[in-house]
Amino acid sequence: MSERLTRPTSTRPAEDRRSARLRLAAILLIVVALVLLAGCTNEGGSASEIVVTGSTTILPIAEIAGERFHEQFPEYQVLVSGLGSSAGIESVAKGSSDIGTSSRDLKPEEDALNLRDTPIALDAIAVIVNPGNPVDGLTLKEVRAIFSGEITNWSQVGGEDRPIGLVNRDEASGTREAFSKIVMGDTRYDMGAAVLPGTGQVRSVVAEAPGAIGYISLGFVNDEVTPVAIDGVEPSVETVASGTYPVQRTLHFFTVGEPEGLAARFVAWVLSDEIQQTVVRDAGFLPIDAGSGS
Amino acid sequence: MSDRNQPVVPAEEPGPRASGTLQRVSRRTYAKEFALKNLFLVCAFVAVMGVLLIFAFVGWRGWPAFTEIGIWHFLSGREWSASNEEFGIFPLIYGSVVVMLGALVLGTPLAVGTAIFLSEIASPRARAIVRPAVELLAGIPSVIFGFFGLLILRPIVAQLSGGLGFGAVTGWIILAIMIVPTIATLSEDALRSIPGGIREASYAMGATTWQTVYKVLVPAAKIGILDAVILGMGRAIGETMAVLMVVGNAPVIPESVTAPMATLTTQIVMDMPYAAGLHRTALFGMAIILFGVSMGLVAVVRLMSRWQTAIKGSA
Repeated sequence: MSERLTRPTSTRPAEDRRSARLRLAAILLIVVALVLLAGCTNEGGSASEIVVTGSTTILPIAEIAGERFHEQFPEYQVLVSGLGSSAGIESVAKGSSDIGTSSRDLKPEEDALNLRDTPIALDAIAVIVNPGNPVDGLTLKEVRAIFSGEITNWSQVGGEDRPIGLVNRDEASGTREAFSKIVMGDTRYDMGAAVLPGTGQVRSVVAEAPGAIGYISLGFVNDEVTPVAIDGVEPSVETVASGTYPVQRTLHFFTVGEPEGLAARFVAWVLSDEIQQTVVRDAGFLPIDAGSGS
Repeated sequence: MSDRNQPVVPAEEPGPRASGTLQRVSRRTYAKEFALKNLFLVCAFVAVMGVLLIFAFVGWRGWPAFTEIGIWHFLSGREWSASNEEFGIFPLIYGSVVVMLGALVLGTPLAVGTAIFLSEIASPRARAIVRPAVELLAGIPSVIFGFFGLLILRPIVAQLSGGLGFGAVTGWIILAIMIVPTIATLSEDALRSIPGGIREASYAMGATTWQTVYKVLVPAAKIGILDAVILGMGRAIGETMAVLMVVGNAPVIPESVTAPMATLTTQIVMDMPYAAGLHRTALFGMAIILFGVSMGLVAVVRLMSRWQTAIKGSA
């Protein structure tokens, strides 16, 4: 009704055709605009940015090293994010980031991606329990039985009569992958364990729940949780360096082929003594050349 | 037709507003009107295109999940384990349904009670406080609910159950609070749309407020309330972030209501950052199922309101 009222009185079939044509044109314009918009994707980062994606374990190293790098060379930005090791490897292989960080080795199916591995630090995975838990040591076998769901009560390993609350990491986690390889072997995780998407969350949950057990990088252990000794060896920088602590691993930077240009400079920066002896050590990891001697 | 639908006639060209005759407007006004109308057409078009594109994309990416994994194996498989190439989503469907039903059981009485209070009992002053509060609840981002659940509620559940506090119970409580605004506002609308005469007739018969609410108003508004509950269901089954933070994300059929579990939406979020190949396809397959569920819920609501109009029409 209102439509008819707004038409000029001279409206005749010719006008109708014109308005139909205009409407068609408007729709076409929108479709074309949508297609064009879809076509104009971001053509990669600019030349002054390094995108570093991957392991949440390596996040503190990459972030602080990135900040220092930016301070030293203000014209360059280092963009760091932590989505898990698998996401890092996938994103560097796809070219959406320059460096993929990983707290695990490449899986066999990832060998074909032609990634270049640069080890940047050593790390131990600490098995952590609530500070109120009297259990302070477990054997590797017991840890495996706990995480596979065979042992379900602390009294079975010399603790209080309290059900064990298993806290696991998500499957994208390099820590989970490394823990699985070193501790679990062919044994499978108990699928009923709580799965948390970050190292920090595992720590805060274990810090609160009296019966909880989880595993995190040694670099993230603080006063809120107690790391247990494995086969009688406490996790520490010394036991990692000497190679006596059984659950240890290497942290990696992955690049497509040899690192080039800015990425190469950043890798060299992270490997430099300045970062290795301060940032890496402060974060609770071990410099890569501290290797398992003696 | 109301006044705001009338075209605005520019002041410098006053046209005769006589009813029944065609109105003479300038070419400029006509062009403006024409442009505006088409602008809104374009708005609607873009929204619809968005839905269609998402639907097509999800369907295209997710369909192989049904063919490659096998639809029965996919839906009834008991194991979800990407590293073992096992993609059975039964525990996730189970989790979604359990979390949704529990939230409805807890949330519906709360929400309908709120609606009855707002429309029948509250004084204007009380309504002026409660109503904005309920609306504010709807505006709180779900991650805030999740944060509240993770840091406040979960430790309490953990204390009471002796576990970690992740699980269905925590999810129920958080979701029940989250669906209250949806159900309450829509139920209130349904109650308010009952003609005042029905209420007055009931009171005139000597019925108390409770009797009026219970025997007259709720039955009269039942389809509207049911609509509200179904939309609340949609909200509950689609909610992701808040649930993700409190259910524990273990893709298993939980042994108890305080054991970790997962839902379709939470598993998609957990796996999406790193999923590749068949795994990613399976995630899109789960999205198809979620899409189907929400379309089904919307269809039910539409059918019911059509049914209601039919009843009213014949009465």
